[in-house]
Amino acid sequence: MPFIKKLGQYGIIIAFLAICLLLSFISPRFLTLSNWTIIITQVSINALLAFGVTFVIITGGIDLSLGSMVAVTGVVAASLAHPDTYPVVVPVMVGLLSGVLMGGLNGLIITKSKVPPFIVTLGMMTIGRGLALILSRGRPISNLSNAFNFIGGGSIFGIPLPIFILIIAFFICHILLKKTVLGRYIYAIGGNEQAAQASGIRVNKVKMAVYTICGGLAALAGILLTSRITTGQPNAGAGFELDAIAAAIIGGASTSGGTGTMTGTLIGALLIGVISNGLDLLNVTSYYQQVVMGAIIIGAVVLDSWNKNK
Amino acid sequence: MLLFALGCGQANDSEKTQSKKTIIGVTMLSMQNEFIVNVSDEIEKKANEAGVELIMVDAEHSPLKQVEQVESFIAQGVDAIIMNPCEVEASSPAVTKAVAANIPIINVNSETSAQPTAFVGSDDRESGRIAMKFIAEKLGGKGNVVMIHGYIGQAAQIKREEGAREILKDYPNLKLIAHQTAEWDRAKAMSLMENWIQSYSKDINAVFAQNDEMGMGAVKALTDAGMKDKVVVVSIDAIPDALQAVKKGTLDATVFQNAKQQGRNAIETALKIIKKEKFEKQQLIPFQLVTKQNVDGFTR
Amino acid sequence: MPHPPNFTLQVRHLTKSFGGVKALDDVQFDLRIGEVHALMGENGAGKSTLMKILIGMLKPDAGTITFEGSSLQNCDVNEIMQKGISMIHQEMLVIPELTVAQNIFLGRESTHWFPNWLDDEAIDKKAQLLLSQMGINIEVTTQMKYLSVAEMQMVEIAKAISNNAKVIIMDEPTSAISDKEVTTLFKIIRELKAKGVAIIYISHKMEEIYAIADTITVLRDGRYIATKPSVELDKKSLIALMVGRELSDLFPPQTATKGNVLLSVRNLSSKGKFSAINFEVKAGEVLGIAGLMGAGRTEIARAIYGLDAFDTGEIFVKGQKVVITSPQDALKNGIGYVSEDRKGLGFIPNMSVKHNISLGSLARYTKIGFVQTQKEQIIVTQTVKDLKIKTATINQKVAQLSGGNQQKVVIGKLLLSNPEIIILDEPTRGIDIGAKFEIYKLINELTAKGKAVVMISSELPEILGMSDRVLVLSKGNQTALLSKEEATQENIMRYAIH
Repeated sequence: MPFIKKLGQYGIIIAFLAICLLLSFISPRFLTLSNWTIIITQVSINALLAFGVTFVIITGGIDLSLGSMVAVTGVVAASLAHPDTYPVVVPVMVGLLSGVLMGGLNGLIITKSKVPPFIVTLGMMTIGRGLALILSRGRPISNLSNAFNFIGGGSIFGIPLPIFILIIAFFICHILLKKTVLGRYIYAIGGNEQAAQASGIRVNKVKMAVYTICGGLAALAGILLTSRITTGQPNAGAGFELDAIAAAIIGGASTSGGTGTMTGTLIGALLIGVISNGLDLLNVTSYYQQVVMGAIIIGAVVLDSWNKNK
Repeated sequence: MLLFALGCGQANDSEKTQSKKTIIGVTMLSMQNEFIVNVSDEIEKKANEAGVELIMVDAEHSPLKQVEQVESFIAQGVDAIIMNPCEVEASSPAVTKAVAANIPIINVNSETSAQPTAFVGSDDRESGRIAMKFIAEKLGGKGNVVMIHGYIGQAAQIKREEGAREILKDYPNLKLIAHQTAEWDRAKAMSLMENWIQSYSKDINAVFAQNDEMGMGAVKALTDAGMKDKVVVVSIDAIPDALQAVKKGTLDATVFQNAKQQGRNAIETALKIIKKEKFEKQQLIPFQLVTKQNVDGFTR
Repeated sequence: MPHPPNFTLQVRHLTKSFGGVKALDDVQFDLRIGEVHALMGENGAGKSTLMKILIGMLKPDAGTITFEGSSLQNCDVNEIMQKGISMIHQEMLVIPELTVAQNIFLGRESTHWFPNWLDDEAIDKKAQLLLSQMGINIEVTTQMKYLSVAEMQMVEIAKAISNNAKVIIMDEPTSAISDKEVTTLFKIIRELKAKGVAIIYISHKMEEIYAIADTITVLRDGRYIATKPSVELDKKSLIALMVGRELSDLFPPQTATKGNVLLSVRNLSSKGKFSAINFEVKAGEVLGIAGLMGAGRTEIARAIYGLDAFDTGEIFVKGQKVVITSPQDALKNGIGYVSEDRKGLGFIPNMSVKHNISLGSLARYTKIGFVQTQKEQIIVTQTVKDLKIKTATINQKVAQLSGGNQQKVVIGKLLLSNPEIIILDEPTRGIDIGAKFEIYKLINELTAKGKAVVMISSELPEILGMSDRVLVLSKGNQTALLSKEEATQENIMRYAIH
């Protein structure tokens, strides 16, 4: 019985390795360094969103406005990133700020009203989408400076910048969650909000922090995406929240709150990226990819509930 | 400007009096698509000049929404409807309903299986042919091609693929080694191209992307991989980004679809029908190949 | 016992209303240093409201609270905790996924190196020290979800103590722990007393109150009734103060005549839970099932009622063998069950009294799939009257009723499906003395009507007072089947720990 329990905890890693193994047999290109560089670069955007939403899910909440935040922040950053206008730090900072503000607004409404996070962030998703269209007047914003495009498209020592950003973000999020008091409170609130409150934890403050951080990470993802395709697109990010939430759930976060890790989420995001990459390598249409993805999510959730009922 | 008139028809007898202001309902596939926006902008411009009132709505890629919008126009008693269809089959009920309600409906840019009162557009097969012909000639009739599709099922996607495949048949040494959809999206096309570069790397000689957004994504991926100078990339639409790229030489060619002309002719035809004048049932506005040589003629 | 002279906590004229209902009306309360002060009263008397105000979770409408000379008027939960008042709640307020150590120091984590950087080693060490001092043997790195209810309660107590609390409020601390652990708890309480910590002890268990409390304060219907040293207040008077009237006997007299055997269980076994269970229950009879926690009593009930499968054995109803694989089968055969987990299996909190009661027997007022609401109304109103369920209207949500009335709702629901055999599992757990009496009366009415009642209980007085015969279980085995004369406290205990 303990073995099966361990299996459950490591199940996601085993599944991940198994799929990688399978793909490496089927396609000789799969295990190459260049392929893996591509995979991790492509995964970076979803992973950042997934880290942000992991914080939220652990507290028992949810954020459906991720995709819209990606669009808004991308448009905001792009509009300030034309060549010979502002130094690149301006679009980056303002872009991040816009995400922080949107996330903070989510947090404010959720903590002040009794409206469930699902509804609040659903509303923000629609508002955000409209905002992106308004700010961009419906058209993609291109002609961005080289410095800005370097963020998503450049490399240092042959390693794409997004990978660096991903690794740094991962460590910061991981440490925040595991090693700080705030992280402990995030778990506590998700585990039993009443108990957390009774222990004197300022629940509302923690929730505000969590949604704000999520917004900030979404903004980072938005900047990354925009610089990667060198265009600020108002319709970018549609549906991104689903992949992000899927990565978190596959990685072990539970929608009832209290569980989840950054490591698990990272592996969940990698798993999604690997499947996408592998099926492209095999020339399988994207529609099958969606079926496979859905099956894996269900599998992860079933495994999770088995574990809980032991 | 050559206009192909493939048939003429008389306007339907309308019991509407012309004393009140003319109202035309317009539903567009998606106002987030730059090309479509160009079409609708021209419709708006011409409508303002003619003193005609427009109700313009965005179907947001949803045929269901589009049918509902047309139903709403019918209920409001508009004088005519201009529709930029989402899908060949699924948007057809809108046409059927309008025709049954005796309201003239003009399809612009895309087709439906149901017959509208008039059609203004370009034959997407032609654009596919033009693009693939360019690739064939550039490669000297021999090489490997990959094709990036738009949303599977949309008229533009179906037709552009048809046209491309026609040309492929004529060149037996031109092989289509892979094709996939990137849903008209730049980022998706970029990821797809990256993955293909992993699979096929030097085997790819040319890329045909069914629209410029995807073409630009493919160009970025190839440029990042240092392969751009060895691979020919052609896409369709001639959006400003693409024209810049052709000028710079990163995109080998694009195909110009005259959005303005489509929009202009659509509203002019609508007005002709309302005024019960003679009109052309089908107007096909030709595509034009845009290369480095003639790109300056297209940039605004 | 030496009487410490100083008052540490003083409450005067405390009043609190919810919606037009006065939960507390001009209440006073005095607590001395190093005193164990029991707070008694029926459910709804105002005990938990008073406690919630004391720890800062609720704000009073009027009145003052003084602690160590200063007012607690505008303090929040955090500040009151830091001043030294801690509460151990009746519902376990624990974080299941965090460890024992992390739960104990929740909200007061040790940090090092950078601000807000957790020092898990220090937290674990402190927790380990604390538990050893208290004589509790639990691994501090275990996640709370793996602990038993009793262990969780011990950890909660450790948490309150680690807070250097000067006043600890214990709300039903022994509801889920065994006698051995109760002894440990009392030992800890006495040690705290010696250190000058004052304890407010809330419990319905009379024996415990008299064993540990120095002083008893009684609340009734939101009003302050009296405070007396426990040695000066005998049981009868205490009950009278709580209930507001004389209760001549704790257990109403039984008048039922015994009839035929309604339920017969032969050789019932389920691996790992219980084995070779044999008993019969006659009409008009109450069979008590006693034993320690974990002896297998609930498991047997669940097996008979079809909630769990069993391996071997047979069940006979009125002489006929029956096969029961689901509660539906059980109900069809006239067997009903009221579980010990009232909240979990008994009622639907957000539904009304009416809908809860009619739930088990909807077929009776349904025609072609539609519920005949008038008929339902009449039948439910009668049930509420018969069982004396205290509720504003039958449309009130059951979650808002007191524990005792909730239990009556569950029993009311059961009775409407007309069972002949009724299995009650801990029927009066967490219910105050007045309501307990009502339930006992109810049981007597059932037996008088010719029903057979099986009553599982961990409260020996209840077993002794209500049963005609007593079945004793120990570790899944049936150790004794005692007649009313043989069923004494000593005998039952002896067979329970066999």
